[in-house]
Amino acid sequence: MHGYVRPGNSQPTWLFPFVVIVVLILSVLPLARLAMVGITAFANGGVIDVLAESSLWSATYYTFVTAILGTIISLVIGCLFAFLLTLTDISDKGLLSFFFVLPMMIPPQVTALAWVQMSGPSSPLLKALSLAPPLGSPQPLYSVGGIALLYGVQHAPLVYLALRAGLMTLPRDGVEAARLSGASSLQVFRDIILPLSLPGIIAGAAISFVSCTGNFGIPAILGIPASIFTLPTLIFTKFSAFTSRTFGDVAVLSAIIAMISVAGLMVQDRALRGRDYRVIGLSGASAAFELGAWRFAFTPLLWAILFFMLAAPFFALVVGALVPAYGVPLTFKTMSLHAFEEILFRQAVTRTAFINSLSLAGATALGLLVVTVLAAYTLTGRKDAASRIVSSLIEIPYSLPGIVMAVAFILVFAAPIPFLHVSLYGTIWIILIAYFSSFFAVSLKPAVSAFHQLDPALEEAARLSGAGFFRRLFDIIVPLIAPAAGASVILVFLIACNELTISALLWSAGTQTLGVAIYNLDDSGSSDLASALSVLVVLMVVVMMLLLELMAKRLPKGAVPWRS
Amino acid sequence: MKTIVSAAALVAASLFAIPASAANLVLYTSQPNEDAQATVDGFMAANPDVKVDWVRDGTPKIMAKLQAEIQAGNPVADLLLIADVVTLERLKKEGKLLAYKSPEAAQYDATLYDADGYYYSTKLITTGIMYNTSAAMKPASWKDLIKPEAKGLVTMPSPLASGAALIHAQTLAAVPGLGWDFYKSLAENGAIAAGGNGAVLKSVASGEKAYGMVVDYLPIREKAKGAPVEFVFPSEGVSAVTEPVGILASTRNADAAKKFVDYVLSEKGQEGFLKLGYIPARNGMKLPKGFPARDTIKVLPIKAADALENADQDLKTFSAIYGSN
Repeated sequence: MHGYVRPGNSQPTWLFPFVVIVVLILSVLPLARLAMVGITAFANGGVIDVLAESSLWSATYYTFVTAILGTIISLVIGCLFAFLLTLTDISDKGLLSFFFVLPMMIPPQVTALAWVQMSGPSSPLLKALSLAPPLGSPQPLYSVGGIALLYGVQHAPLVYLALRAGLMTLPRDGVEAARLSGASSLQVFRDIILPLSLPGIIAGAAISFVSCTGNFGIPAILGIPASIFTLPTLIFTKFSAFTSRTFGDVAVLSAIIAMISVAGLMVQDRALRGRDYRVIGLSGASAAFELGAWRFAFTPLLWAILFFMLAAPFFALVVGALVPAYGVPLTFKTMSLHAFEEILFRQAVTRTAFINSLSLAGATALGLLVVTVLAAYTLTGRKDAASRIVSSLIEIPYSLPGIVMAVAFILVFAAPIPFLHVSLYGTIWIILIAYFSSFFAVSLKPAVSAFHQLDPALEEAARLSGAGFFRRLFDIIVPLIAPAAGASVILVFLIACNELTISALLWSAGTQTLGVAIYNLDDSGSSDLASALSVLVVLMVVVMMLLLELMAKRLPKGAVPWRS
Repeated sequence: MKTIVSAAALVAASLFAIPASAANLVLYTSQPNEDAQATVDGFMAANPDVKVDWVRDGTPKIMAKLQAEIQAGNPVADLLLIADVVTLERLKKEGKLLAYKSPEAAQYDATLYDADGYYYSTKLITTGIMYNTSAAMKPASWKDLIKPEAKGLVTMPSPLASGAALIHAQTLAAVPGLGWDFYKSLAENGAIAAGGNGAVLKSVASGEKAYGMVVDYLPIREKAKGAPVEFVFPSEGVSAVTEPVGILASTRNADAAKKFVDYVLSEKGQEGFLKLGYIPARNGMKLPKGFPARDTIKVLPIKAADALENADQDLKTFSAIYGSN
């Protein structure tokens, strides 16, 4: 019994095996099943059929092209914000940062819908302003460029956050030494800051690329009408035309996206490995540059970008929800609250979707919290290879595209569970398990950073005074990491509430989520209803982010993603 | 220990808060959301003891969902209310449907329901041409869509996404003088086929395209709300589907499902469809506002048996012309 736990480690023996079992169920089982079906399809020659289809190759091509272009756009916007908000004395940093991270928290299909409402001949907003393009003009967003642009907007905050984390720890004395030797601001930026922030930029680029390849909401709304399919939307359409071959085909397609993601992550991993510059000197390069007169150029620029990223699409959504029918310009006479009425009071599916999304998000956030506290405790306490393996196994489902995890869980739970004879497929429970798997890593991160900041002496003192594990857990550990736990609950709740990719494949009668409801409303031609529901969802996201912002002072560093 | 109990209780409570599908009936339908809700609301008002959950998607997608569920051993739906009899005929042949002889059938033409009681047509939905009122040409014939004035301005639903669109394509393909060559000319004229009827409505009403093939009730209804669109019944005639209702053999609540079939066929149920802007299938019903007299609408013939047999081949032909997945 005592031989297994190293001396000095006071964890109960059951703890680590418990975490291992959870990880086996949530990560290893679905991925192994996916690999198995893929290999079986391969052995049966099914792969040849899939690989011979031109749709696969064009989807792979579009996935790459849109992801690369999207990454470039997100790099440009993300780096601009990161450098200006971290290194200069620009005003209203907190506000800018809050607004800039907002697009990341908004469901991608809502972003896409908002931009469609904002541009092209269909735009109720442009019609209201009498700026709409003439009849027959194509919607410019239904294109590779449109998809890439929205990827860029959606993922720029990821680049911003990755780069910002690195910039915060830049050695200040290096900058000051260069300044004292007479280097200009531009030289300091080019010769010191840029090289040192390169790993952060690469990491941001990799995260953005992986997120682009896995995105479903944007290519579904912008790509499908123009017959531009990416791998996730191709999987979705294959599933929408179910045949006896479908399970095998989608397993193979999922494996291809998974490989692209893993390749992207390996790049990120390499970039991060060479990144530990913290030891060089005092960190905190806040306001290393004084903008001076440039302030008058940069401040309006940043606000203008935010206006186009957030305010204009949101107004377009609101206008789209208020027009009575397609193609009618919005005036005070034509304005109608019909869509909101229909969504809020008539459609049973809205109520179902709100209840489903909120209870799924709540159950995922709270359920994961219990596992997370135990896992973070045992994983930060152990420094062996086993705990490193478990940590990376927890990361994998989060880093894989949602559609891959959805396919994996369908394969595990499509048939009734042996012995129990209960079928999870088509019920809400399969969505819940997939959420647990996908968001485990999100929930774990704030808890792990809290444990790292925790002084082990407190717990040791309690242990020496004879307190058992649960006593220590509830009297010492939980109170100390409570703020981080709160942040983790809200973060997971926020992300799970807005989820589409996983539930798009797993939903069934009565288990529609908000993401699915919005997508289906738009797909069936009721874009006024889809817009109205989207407006409500955006408002909900903003309220939850404000809640996190209010809690921020009591949280450990890094728990709220957009705060320094 | 108290804390652990309350924490566990909290988690348990949040887990049980998840609603397991508690409905007595699950309806899979291809009607638009608002119509599906209205149909279900009407039924539940007449039968307060039955709760109905519904899922809406295009007919092919609904069928895919059902197939996947059947393969997984857990079909969720009790009832289908989808675009065309051809799909239901196929399910009947596969033994997936429950036979039920509704007393309401007496009020229907014998051609509108299955003699063995496996499915019943509920309405008549024709596919014609809609155009944006700011378009230069007012189309009157299907062939107007291949004129140079319509170049790059035509859109239509894809048979891969819509059951009505498949029947429509099969109907036109059988018309002498049109046929698959007509579809080829359309594609050469820059016509696109993507998404369902809702997408066509949106595209034409908003002015992305000027002309569209679409089911009648969408543009007629939107026009009444003020949208800048018109609907025409082309001179050659229109195709039609009848949105049949059928009960799945795997239903867990056959009695309630039979009540639902009776309701949609009843005068009250049919009036509900009429109010939504559909042509009711029941004898002696009025036409909705905005439609011409029934005997002026020329419906092109289609042989259900042929349509069923050729469906896969016709889908392939269509996909080959329009290069869609």
